[in-house]
Amino acid sequence: MRELFPMKQVNGYIFSLLLTVIALSVYFFDMSYAMGLTILVVTAFIQAGVQLVVFMHAGESKDKNAIYVNTIYGVVIAVLTVLGSLLAMIWGYY
Amino acid sequence: MKQDSNLPLEYSTETNEMNILGFWIFLGAEIMLFATLFTTYFVYVDRGVGSGPAGSEIFEITPVLIETILLLTSSFTIGLAVHAMRINRVKAMIGFMIVTLLLGAAFISVEVYEFIHYYHVGATLQTSGFTAILLTTLGTHGAHVTLGLFWGIMIIIQICRNGLNARTANKSFIFSLYWHFLDVMWIFIFSFIYLKGMM
Amino acid sequence: MDFLDRFSIPPHDDPMLYASIVAIGLVSIAIVAGVTYFKKWGYLWNEWLTTVDHKRIGIMYIISALLMLFRGGADAVMMRLQTAVPENSFLNAQHYNEVFTTHGVVMIIFMAMAFIIGMMNFVVPLQIGARDVAFPRLNALSFWLYFAGAMLFNISFVVGGSPDAGWTNYYPLAGTEFSEHVGVNYYNWALQISGTGTLMTGINFIVTIMKMRAPGMKLMKMPMFTWSALITNLIIVFAFPVLTIALLLGTFDRQFFTNFFTTTDGGMDMMWANLFWIWGHPEVYILILPAFGIYSQIIATFSERNLYGYKSMVASMVIISLLSFLVWVHHFFTMGQGAVTNSIFSITTMAIAVPTGIKIFNWLLTMWKGKIRFTTPMMYSVAFIPLFTIGGVTGVMLAMASADYQYHNTMFLVAHFHNVIIPGVVFAMIAGLIYYWPKMFGFMLNERIGKYAFWNIVIGFCLAFFPMYITGLNGQARRMYTYSEATGFGPLSMLSFIGALLLAVGFVLIVYNVYYSFRYAPRNVGDDPWNARSLEWATHNPVPEYNFAITPTVQSEEAFWDYKKNGYKLFNGEIKDIHMPNNSGWSIIFAGIFFVFAFFFVFHVWAGVIIAFLGIIGCMIYRSFEKDDGHHIHKEEIEETEKKFGGAE
Repeated sequence: MRELFPMKQVNGYIFSLLLTVIALSVYFFDMSYAMGLTILVVTAFIQAGVQLVVFMHAGESKDKNAIYVNTIYGVVIAVLTVLGSLLAMIWGYY
Repeated sequence: MKQDSNLPLEYSTETNEMNILGFWIFLGAEIMLFATLFTTYFVYVDRGVGSGPAGSEIFEITPVLIETILLLTSSFTIGLAVHAMRINRVKAMIGFMIVTLLLGAAFISVEVYEFIHYYHVGATLQTSGFTAILLTTLGTHGAHVTLGLFWGIMIIIQICRNGLNARTANKSFIFSLYWHFLDVMWIFIFSFIYLKGMM
Repeated sequence: MDFLDRFSIPPHDDPMLYASIVAIGLVSIAIVAGVTYFKKWGYLWNEWLTTVDHKRIGIMYIISALLMLFRGGADAVMMRLQTAVPENSFLNAQHYNEVFTTHGVVMIIFMAMAFIIGMMNFVVPLQIGARDVAFPRLNALSFWLYFAGAMLFNISFVVGGSPDAGWTNYYPLAGTEFSEHVGVNYYNWALQISGTGTLMTGINFIVTIMKMRAPGMKLMKMPMFTWSALITNLIIVFAFPVLTIALLLGTFDRQFFTNFFTTTDGGMDMMWANLFWIWGHPEVYILILPAFGIYSQIIATFSERNLYGYKSMVASMVIISLLSFLVWVHHFFTMGQGAVTNSIFSITTMAIAVPTGIKIFNWLLTMWKGKIRFTTPMMYSVAFIPLFTIGGVTGVMLAMASADYQYHNTMFLVAHFHNVIIPGVVFAMIAGLIYYWPKMFGFMLNERIGKYAFWNIVIGFCLAFFPMYITGLNGQARRMYTYSEATGFGPLSMLSFIGALLLAVGFVLIVYNVYYSFRYAPRNVGDDPWNARSLEWATHNPVPEYNFAITPTVQSEEAFWDYKKNGYKLFNGEIKDIHMPNNSGWSIIFAGIFFVFAFFFVFHVWAGVIIAFLGIIGCMIYRSFEKDDGHHIHKEEIEETEKKFGGAE
């Protein structure tokens, strides 16, 4: 039975639950908007990284460079799209 | 089909390697798909409320938390399924896959409850720009999970019929990538739609 | 009858429309009758409609693109005719709106996109020495989804009415309030289907290029067209999902009464423009980068020199691919956002001119001291450089946000983007088609007729679009169906019309050239009629089904040139059985069901939508359970084919 539950996966699971609990603190405690958003950004991106490396085995294939470049490119473009749109439609729009 | 016995079964042929890389690139496209939804959501959460309710007025923490734990756990179990596959424990693998799909089905049920709740408090697709993008984003994610449920069933049937071979192992691995990805997207929904909305 | 009413076109007092309905009907009947009479249905189905061969799919893309070129070209000539003289009444306002809308969509999505994807399909696997693309079946599906989208868009003007809100389809004009009939629904669904196909192409080609290169061909040894295809497909993968969502939200607005792009209840009409251009600007580079790739091949070949600045060519494309995602707001500088926002996007826009300029210099330096041969493809490439530079410079003018308030929405803009797209993309595609024609069909196109066509097209282009810069600066707004004599736009607009006619003559000459060369051109052109440099010329003309009898081994960037001149060995080993994918009717059937699904969705026929949706699910389940391991072409067969071509190495 034990070999069906490797430590790496179990730890990853516990860690992701922990991150969820940390993220939840923004709901239960009173804090500034900037502080709350920082916690959310940090926990969400670490969480995504954990899934990517621990569960999705992104680094073990022969094509890991292509996979990482592709994913990072996607994330960068995605973040820039979100920020640019906010700039055009909210922050820079009077 | 040339098979390389040094590699895990799901990578063992050239076609398999290409399938996996292709699916990763597809996931890149999915990142952008959800990013577009998030972009629209972030713009409308400020300027698109109109006369409809704001997020903080309609969100409920309990169903959201249940959904999060269900999906996180299912992401863990599909990971275990892949591990079981690699040590050639087919029965355990199928067991973990079934657990994953059950958790996914439970997730969908809670989401349906959540949508009914929104309907009752007057936050429908037609209410405002904000409610429309909220429901579209959640709906797109939910549709992905639903598709995943059917896809998973197909794969379980094929493993039961043909056993574990290069083809079915490859399909299962790709399915696990898809499922983990949906979990990641849910984390972003959970953080930046719900928690940010209720903060 | 109520049910059927929805399919009728909105009231038109235009006899031409009915004439074209009759014409479409007659042509369709003629095609069906012709194929039946010559008993070619079996051939068509077995050899083409079900094919998964990248070369045939490429050729089908190119044929479709040429058909769409003439469809969109007819629209263009109609527009120029309408505005040739002041107060003209050839088209009414509504018909003019439909014509400029369909012209834009057809030319960008169904002509230019299809042309470049067709070229990539045909050329890329040959350039990297592969048997086929990574996912041949998916490739066929991409084509048929594109084709289904194109057909859906084209039936709009006889069933239900054409879209009429411009190719950019801005809301609130495109919303149900101002565009009541189903035209914009067609726009949404046609683009949605063909866009899905394009996304699949993007994934397919990235995997192909990453995984299927011939042994020895490192990334930095790939031919430039393959590099451009790789970067282009990367942009496709990240840009097209944005279009998918934008169209989805638009569909929701029009068909489920949501408030995304309305002006009430929190809707934001400019959000459509924002999303559209997040896709739309990278799309521009999706079109132009493969064109750059083609020019790089042609210029190197006909200058008989290695491409100058290979690494800077690659680097500039990578930079362009990133910057292309960072400039979209320059399409709506006048929306009302502040100076900071506009400045940021103004600077990113101008920054793109730098890598593009590097490429221009690289081409010039490739030609420098080269032994230039002025073949038709080379003439297009040489004409491209100055004409495209003019288009680029006017682009930098438009990129200056404050000045853009003056140019915005005028004919100056129309002149600018035609000035980059026609010399950039269209010239490249024609040049590429002529260049690869012997590779596709085993004979050359006639050079004399080709040059007549070239001069018609180049002079026609200059006459058609340069006057627009002037009228635009004088204040002529785009998309206006007429103008008064007092504006003084009359003479220059007439010049534009004459230019459009010359362009039309040029394109007809190209078609005549195909006919003429098919009948009279010699068939024994050999394998290397242009004295070319890259790997695709190392196999026979036309290319056999399996591409290369022996997988080539590559040692340098210009693999074929070094093989010819420097004695590098290309083919090691001996002929073996070759594994090939099987043909399948699945793709065309699947895409056909998608067509039905979208058609019913356009008209809110929900029963039809549900049935078609079940069909889609059924197709996917079938595919999931299907076992298809392909087949082998046996050694003896290959040897026989090779003997017919005059023996392998």
